[in-house]
Amino acid sequence: MVAGVATVDSITNPDKMFTDGGINVIIDRVTKADGDQKTVTLSDGREIPYDKLLLGTGASPAVIPIEGHDLEGVFTLRSAPDAEKIRNFLEERKAKKLVLIGAGFTNLEVATLLCETKPDHYDVTVIEILGYPLPLMVDSDMGAQVQEHLVEKGFTMKMDQRVAKILGQNGVVSGVELASGETIEADMVLLAVGVRQNLELAKDLGLELGKFGIKVNKFLETSVPDVMAAGDCVEKYNLVTKKPVAGQLRGPAVIQGRLAAKRLAGYEIEFPGVLNNSAVRLFDKYIGSVGLTEEEARREGLEILCTTVTSRSKHGMIPGVKPWTLKLIFDKASHKVIGGQIVSDSVAPVKEIDTINALILGEKTIPELTTLMCAGNPDCSSEPSLEPITICAEQALQKLRT
Amino acid sequence: MQSGQRLVIIGMGGVGGPAAMLAKRLMPEVDVTIIREEERFIVR
Repeated sequence: MVAGVATVDSITNPDKMFTDGGINVIIDRVTKADGDQKTVTLSDGREIPYDKLLLGTGASPAVIPIEGHDLEGVFTLRSAPDAEKIRNFLEERKAKKLVLIGAGFTNLEVATLLCETKPDHYDVTVIEILGYPLPLMVDSDMGAQVQEHLVEKGFTMKMDQRVAKILGQNGVVSGVELASGETIEADMVLLAVGVRQNLELAKDLGLELGKFGIKVNKFLETSVPDVMAAGDCVEKYNLVTKKPVAGQLRGPAVIQGRLAAKRLAGYEIEFPGVLNNSAVRLFDKYIGSVGLTEEEARREGLEILCTTVTSRSKHGMIPGVKPWTLKLIFDKASHKVIGGQIVSDSVAPVKEIDTINALILGEKTIPELTTLMCAGNPDCSSEPSLEPITICAEQALQKLRT
Repeated sequence: MQSGQRLVIIGMGGVGGPAAMLAKRLMPEVDVTIIREEERFIVR
């Protein structure tokens, strides 16, 4: 939407889809929720009674409390209205110099699409407090491939840099000053430095909260009877570490929403935890990740073993063959695969990240991965002899012996 | 949930929309209401 690739109508579901299905849709702000009376109150004072309440209040973009964050032309992006505001600003101001604070996938994807729709128009600078792009998705060795590609595409990458303040003139953004003292000119600044859970109603209801949001059991039930919660506002558990995490991605939110409905209908299906599966396209690179990165695993105190293999998107003799790199992270004690990352020059291999996801869910080990047999075809997969999951596992097997 | 009971869902992002649709499909006799603040919020 920001880049004009999609319209707001094309990415939003019409209310009619719900009302035609017999669902009541109310567009209003809930100002209060009462778990004893089992009512919610709307902004006009109307009380809506419930037998069961499901909170899906989501999260809002975090704003770093630095000077200039409230200047005109400084944006965060979370919802369709945010995208409309950014699009309007870009068009009205004919903005060219874009500064992205945060090198996560939201910022980088938006900048990619803007540059693709208006080649040679934008001058993009990316500022990241950590040492490489996509630091929550991949390790530095895989991130280096991404960084190199973005630099090839004309981005200025300011990694390992802290923002001191956002500069403005007449209330409008004009630049960003780094802690190093360097100043970067900006017509627009996009801030993507994480999110905070929307917990006002949860607090109103007296729900038990954790470090990362509303505490729920495996059936998404909160500490207050007949109140469930799901999605970004809920604290989740990392499936590998079993520790609480935020896990704020759309996939888990949708799965949790549907799981809550099934629970209310009488099913007893537990939410298994999250592995933070994610994928993004940045120009000609497709990046996917799942589970723990090497750096996360080390922070958790795990002794690990990593292997990286570069393979081919098609059999070598087929025209259009492209390289792709897979990195797998194994727990040295249990030999189980606990994470995976892919950087690919074509789209098909990136979805192998879901194979890694299934292997982690199945608690598969290095020896078991050496016998994985994938569907093979000259035009749409690596040769069986170059299938990188099995080769990564074989390399890990050899490392275990040394 | 029992027939005629009322399910209220707050928020219509990744959770609310799918939850409301599936709840109504699995429990057509339950009254499902979804409340959202934004004029348009759901992203497919």
